[in-house]
Amino acid sequence: MVPLGLPVLLATGCNSNQAITNPATRPARDINTLWWAMFAGAMVVFAVVVALLVIAFVRRGRPGEPSHDDRGPYKVIIGGGLAAPIVVLAILFGFVIHVMPATSSPPGPTKLTVDVIGHQWFWEVRYPGTPAVTADEIHIPSGTAVDVRATTVDVIHSFWVPRLNRKIDMIPGQANRIELDAPDPGVYRGQCSEFCGVGHAQMAFYVIVQPPARFRAWLRVQSRPAATPTTTAGLLGRRTFLTVGCEDCHAIRGTSAAGRVGPDLTHLGSRRTLAALTIPNTPRMLYDWISNPQAIKPGARMPGFASLPAAQRHALVAYLEGLR
Amino acid sequence: MTATATRRNARPNGWYGMVILVATEASLFGTLMASYVYLRFQTAVWPPHGVAAPSATAPTVLALVLVASALPMAYAAHAADRGRRRAALAGIACALVIQAVYLGFQIHLYADDLSRLSPSRDAYASIYFTLLAVHHIHVGVGILLDLWLLARLSRRLTPYRRTAVSAVAFYWYFVAIVGLFVTATITSPTW
Amino acid sequence: MAVGTAARERVERLDRIWQERPGFTGWLTTTDHKRIGILYLVTSLAFFAAGGVEALVMRTQLAQADERVVGPGTYDQLMTMHGVTMIFFFVIPLSIGFFGNYLVPLMIGARDMAFPRMNALSYWLYLGSGILLYSGLALGHAPDAGWFNYVPLASRKFSPGTGVDFYALGLILNSVSSTAAAANFLVTIGRLRAPGMSLNRMPLFCFAILATSFSLVFALPALTTDLVFLELSRKFGLHFFDVGRGGNPLLWQDLFWIFGHPEVYIIVLPAFGIATSIIPTFTRRRMAAFPLVALAELLVAFIGFGVWVHHMFATGLPEIAMIFFAAASLIIVIPSGIQIFAWCMTMVTGKPEYRTPLLFIVGFILFFVFGGLSGIMLAAIPFDQQVTDTYFVVAHFHYVIWGAAVFPLLGGLFYWFPKVTGRMYDERLGQTTFWLVFIGTNVTFFPMHISGMLGMPRRVWTYPGHLGWGPENFISTLGAFFLTGGLVLMAVNLVVSRFRGPLAGPNPFGGATLEWATSSPPPSYNFAVIPKVSSPYATWDEDDRETDPQRLERGDFVLEGGHLTPGTTPVDGHMDEILAMPEESPWPITLAFVATLGTAFILANHLIMAAAMAALAAAVLVAWHSGEPEAA
Repeated sequence: MVPLGLPVLLATGCNSNQAITNPATRPARDINTLWWAMFAGAMVVFAVVVALLVIAFVRRGRPGEPSHDDRGPYKVIIGGGLAAPIVVLAILFGFVIHVMPATSSPPGPTKLTVDVIGHQWFWEVRYPGTPAVTADEIHIPSGTAVDVRATTVDVIHSFWVPRLNRKIDMIPGQANRIELDAPDPGVYRGQCSEFCGVGHAQMAFYVIVQPPARFRAWLRVQSRPAATPTTTAGLLGRRTFLTVGCEDCHAIRGTSAAGRVGPDLTHLGSRRTLAALTIPNTPRMLYDWISNPQAIKPGARMPGFASLPAAQRHALVAYLEGLR
Repeated sequence: MTATATRRNARPNGWYGMVILVATEASLFGTLMASYVYLRFQTAVWPPHGVAAPSATAPTVLALVLVASALPMAYAAHAADRGRRRAALAGIACALVIQAVYLGFQIHLYADDLSRLSPSRDAYASIYFTLLAVHHIHVGVGILLDLWLLARLSRRLTPYRRTAVSAVAFYWYFVAIVGLFVTATITSPTW
Repeated sequence: MAVGTAARERVERLDRIWQERPGFTGWLTTTDHKRIGILYLVTSLAFFAAGGVEALVMRTQLAQADERVVGPGTYDQLMTMHGVTMIFFFVIPLSIGFFGNYLVPLMIGARDMAFPRMNALSYWLYLGSGILLYSGLALGHAPDAGWFNYVPLASRKFSPGTGVDFYALGLILNSVSSTAAAANFLVTIGRLRAPGMSLNRMPLFCFAILATSFSLVFALPALTTDLVFLELSRKFGLHFFDVGRGGNPLLWQDLFWIFGHPEVYIIVLPAFGIATSIIPTFTRRRMAAFPLVALAELLVAFIGFGVWVHHMFATGLPEIAMIFFAAASLIIVIPSGIQIFAWCMTMVTGKPEYRTPLLFIVGFILFFVFGGLSGIMLAAIPFDQQVTDTYFVVAHFHYVIWGAAVFPLLGGLFYWFPKVTGRMYDERLGQTTFWLVFIGTNVTFFPMHISGMLGMPRRVWTYPGHLGWGPENFISTLGAFFLTGGLVLMAVNLVVSRFRGPLAGPNPFGGATLEWATSSPPPSYNFAVIPKVSSPYATWDEDDRETDPQRLERGDFVLEGGHLTPGTTPVDGHMDEILAMPEESPWPITLAFVATLGTAFILANHLIMAAAMAALAAAVLVAWHSGEPEAA
């Protein structure tokens, strides 16, 4: 009952965008297969032990005194506790060695390198060889071997997109790498998987896999400096941005804002979410975020700007949403 | 059955207790020295630039002196086992003098090192000063144990105190041997 | 059987000699292993309640997506305190502090532990360290970096408050308590066994405690070193873990897990021991393959030191290193498997009577196998690299720590309840409790395998609703409250039975080990006459037990001349000397108080006062050793 429920319940969650049982690449599929094989083996072993306990229960009322002859038990104990495990575990070990190269080896020859840098509590994303810098969304071309270099500027984080590959920790001083090679375009969800402080639960990201031409177009746009605002609100917004302190933490390429504490906002308008997938990127949400980040993401390093007049905050929103 | 001074086959419980304490301390030093090696093999330049490699002469001589102090301690334990109070006292006192002089020199060297290098400079300094300090603290505790033994033995030599002497002697054998390992570790950049 | 006059006089003399101070002060100065055991029992159950409340608040917060019962600051303190409390202040003190302390001397036919005053010290240090840690919580400075406290998050830069210092210093103090306890068990088991109890005649519970104690002795120093490095970094700016200064954050992880993995075997081994005590009693059969089971218990402890890197498979280590540790992690399955089949075959070839204690052991076997199977999966490196740090791991370790380590403790509380209190618990309520707790445990922890496989990471105070984690979390929360209900029922049963249960007599279940050969509760000197031993099932050896009253009358191994117990040789158990046990003493509690105060001074950066406390501690130790127990 309990162990049988597992596959049923898993099947219902199989469409989940962060499920290990919903693989979208070869390494993730290999691990998923390994999982189901181990699950089957585990159920067999569990059934054997349950059977022994049931036998004990059923035989409990038999007449006569219990036998203290250990010869029969020794055979079962050595067979079931020593011989069978050696065989089964050796097979499992072989299976593990077989799957490991696809998942554990450092990336082989790859066509593209992406730098993902962990921060408390967002993901800085850079494309070496281009000026492009973004946050919390990693675009990659489909059907291409991509080398993700996973590093951190502060504490240990962990880069994990279950549908694409295993997780890899981001450790100070270490240049860990993981290969992503996704055949199918789509949006895949990842999340930080090493406790990194109060914002840990709200530190997720998307890997957006695009057909290569679309990806190249996207990268070209991201490499450009920020758009110049054309509306009054936008201009007021830019002026506000550069005078009330935003530039101390955030960078917008093409302006004097070059802060590295918070995410790069050069193309904020093109992103789907804010605050590392915590809220959708809409004008209303952005306004609320600027006014009081703590209400949305407690512990976030950004101060609230509720003391700024509403008009100025709306202007900021207009400006930032215009940065596509 | 009675009698306090029965011939025993097993060692007294207090001695076994000390052996186990020594096992934990050996484990402690093991992890400290393993940490030294771990940090050492992380860094291309060890000691880092600007830090002189420790001289091997003084530490090695001192380590051997500490080992030598184990001999009067062994003599004291042997004498105590045979009920010879004054001989045990003499052995402990002799060991204590050597150990105190040893510790004095070590503290002097440590202070000298501190004047030239701050423990908070980098990982090398941190592990260097920490490993040495832990060892010196063990020597200091041993000296306090010696003083306590001298005080107790100045009156009588009871079976309890006889066990204490053999337990403290065992402690010193451990501290002396660990001292060799610690010295080897600390002076390893110089080899 | 009529008791002769000589026998009666001997017993009266023993009563007088071994009597301790009455009342509250008696508890503060006791060196009686049974009373110290009861102190551990009460204190560990109090911490269990605290850890349980912490869990229930977390589960309430997680019951639904986007919930706001508590915020991340509070949640992170709760999850840290829950882990630290349950591991260091509940399960280990209950296993070795209560069960170990109370039972080992009785099972080996001794009158006390080898170092009774140090035994008391272990308890008071444990209490002091728990008070220290919880005072951090009370002051709003609970540690919040998780129970394994990784750096750099736990460094001064990223955790500037004092929470992490409470964690580090509280655990250093606690480790002194556990180390002292381990040393005490090793010498007790090595030298205080009754004459004739060679090692192969020692009960399996004592083998389990022996294995646990060896592990503690060699594992704890790794944690101590780690915590000392951490505090030196935080307080004096030293650099062990800072990459910029030649350090490495992985050094923290390696040292931590070199301790941490043996720690989980330390947690579960006493439970194995309890299982091996309960099964023979309720199946009326000796444990099958006794030597294999004893060897397996020791092997688990030993191999447990060689697997720690499996906690670090996602850190980017070289494959060859990971493969070695994966292999070791698979090898350790074998001694566990041997024990599982031995327990099962004892039940199959015996005649099991499914009373409450045995029900908990059956539950234990199921949970241990299930949790062990998920553990085997975690040894498969690529799979681990997907599920590590998800709720799959949370499910795994709760199945083994809660299901496998705590179920025997619960069963053991029922089993030895009549021995400790002299009264019997209510059997029907006991069985109901078992079912409530068994079902509750599965309902709470099984769904976590699923949420983990669906991608839910650990240590998250909230989660969004669109990933399918809601139903599993809601079910877990229901299970947690259901499980708590079962535990409350158990508490009511035991508390009421303590005062109103029917009198139990010396051996209501027909147990085989020596604690059942004396009265319930045992007299302060445990046995009026040191029992004659020919096998690990001494109470079932009727010929030997029949000689006890005759030997009491003759004065053969009554040792009523003082506070005495026999000392025997470590392997063969041959009579070697008469050991004089110390009487009650104020020094253990005094030393623990001074040590706790000194640790608090370090925490508050009053280093001169801390040094003064160290000097005072030395003085207390001198006073302590001025009391030299003398054999008459």
